[in-house]
Amino acid sequence: MAITIRRLEELDGTLGFDCGNEPLNNYLSKHAWINQQKCSIGVTYVAVDETAPRTVLGYFTLATSSIPRDRLPKKHVRGLPPYDLPLILLARLAVDKRFAGHGLGRVLLSEAFGTALRVAGEVGCRCIVADAYRNMVGWYAKFGFIPIEGGADTGPQRMFLDIRTIRAAIGSGSAFD
Amino acid sequence: MTLTAKSKPKAAARQIRKSKFQADLAPAEDTMVRALKAELQLTSNSDFLSDALTLFRWAVSERKRGHRIVSESSSGERKILVFPRLERVAPELDLPRVQMDWSAREIESLLELSQGQPAEPTEALIRAMRR
Repeated sequence: MAITIRRLEELDGTLGFDCGNEPLNNYLSKHAWINQQKCSIGVTYVAVDETAPRTVLGYFTLATSSIPRDRLPKKHVRGLPPYDLPLILLARLAVDKRFAGHGLGRVLLSEAFGTALRVAGEVGCRCIVADAYRNMVGWYAKFGFIPIEGGADTGPQRMFLDIRTIRAAIGSGSAFD
Repeated sequence: MTLTAKSKPKAAARQIRKSKFQADLAPAEDTMVRALKAELQLTSNSDFLSDALTLFRWAVSERKRGHRIVSESSSGERKILVFPRLERVAPELDLPRVQMDWSAREIESLLELSQGQPAEPTEALIRAMRR
């Protein structure tokens, strides 16, 4: 299998995608393309195999966001530049059930991190934030995501990963050889 | 059909070294080339290739700058060109901006995390970034 990850295209086959989670299936088949091309509220990247280049095996969606400076607690504002706090949002990540368990999620996450690093290099984002489904919190934690406290008890868990941690991971490739 | 850009006479060739371009075309592509040449009133393959190259080069430079290539009909209907190879040169930095809801406690927690020392990368993260 030769996997390629690229931006979602209009003709991609998204209807057959099934990750076992209806909202994530629906997002890909009904909203991802419109959000990307018309509403500009998220860019979706898809994993496809070269032998079936229109069949989506997995996907993730990225966007940028920020926290308005006037919402930052005063004790934290000191030392920060007078701007909103920018961040990168990993809004969704899913793998089709038929291809689960082969490391495709890790490949998608790695690609998302690569893109996040390039964006952070341009606009100065400090972190990646993911809204993780509760049953996936452990999976994200494995890659270093830390739960952000103070969210609702139900629904997705917001998680944090420092861009500097990703940079350090690239720089310490030999640690686990 | 074999599409060949013929070289110029020897005298000119001495002045500027020109490279030859040869491509084997499938019958459908051959028909397409012939039809396009007729439509555009191009007589030589060299001119055809030269014009195609100019157009392709322009498209690549536009996408490199992050510009979208749009066609607009007389009624104002717009279509955006999405060509996989062109998307490879497009900057990936044009991520859209979205608004997120944050509770006061979440903001505080996020700031504590982002202002502290970054966590050491986990083994899984190092492996993921090594691929």
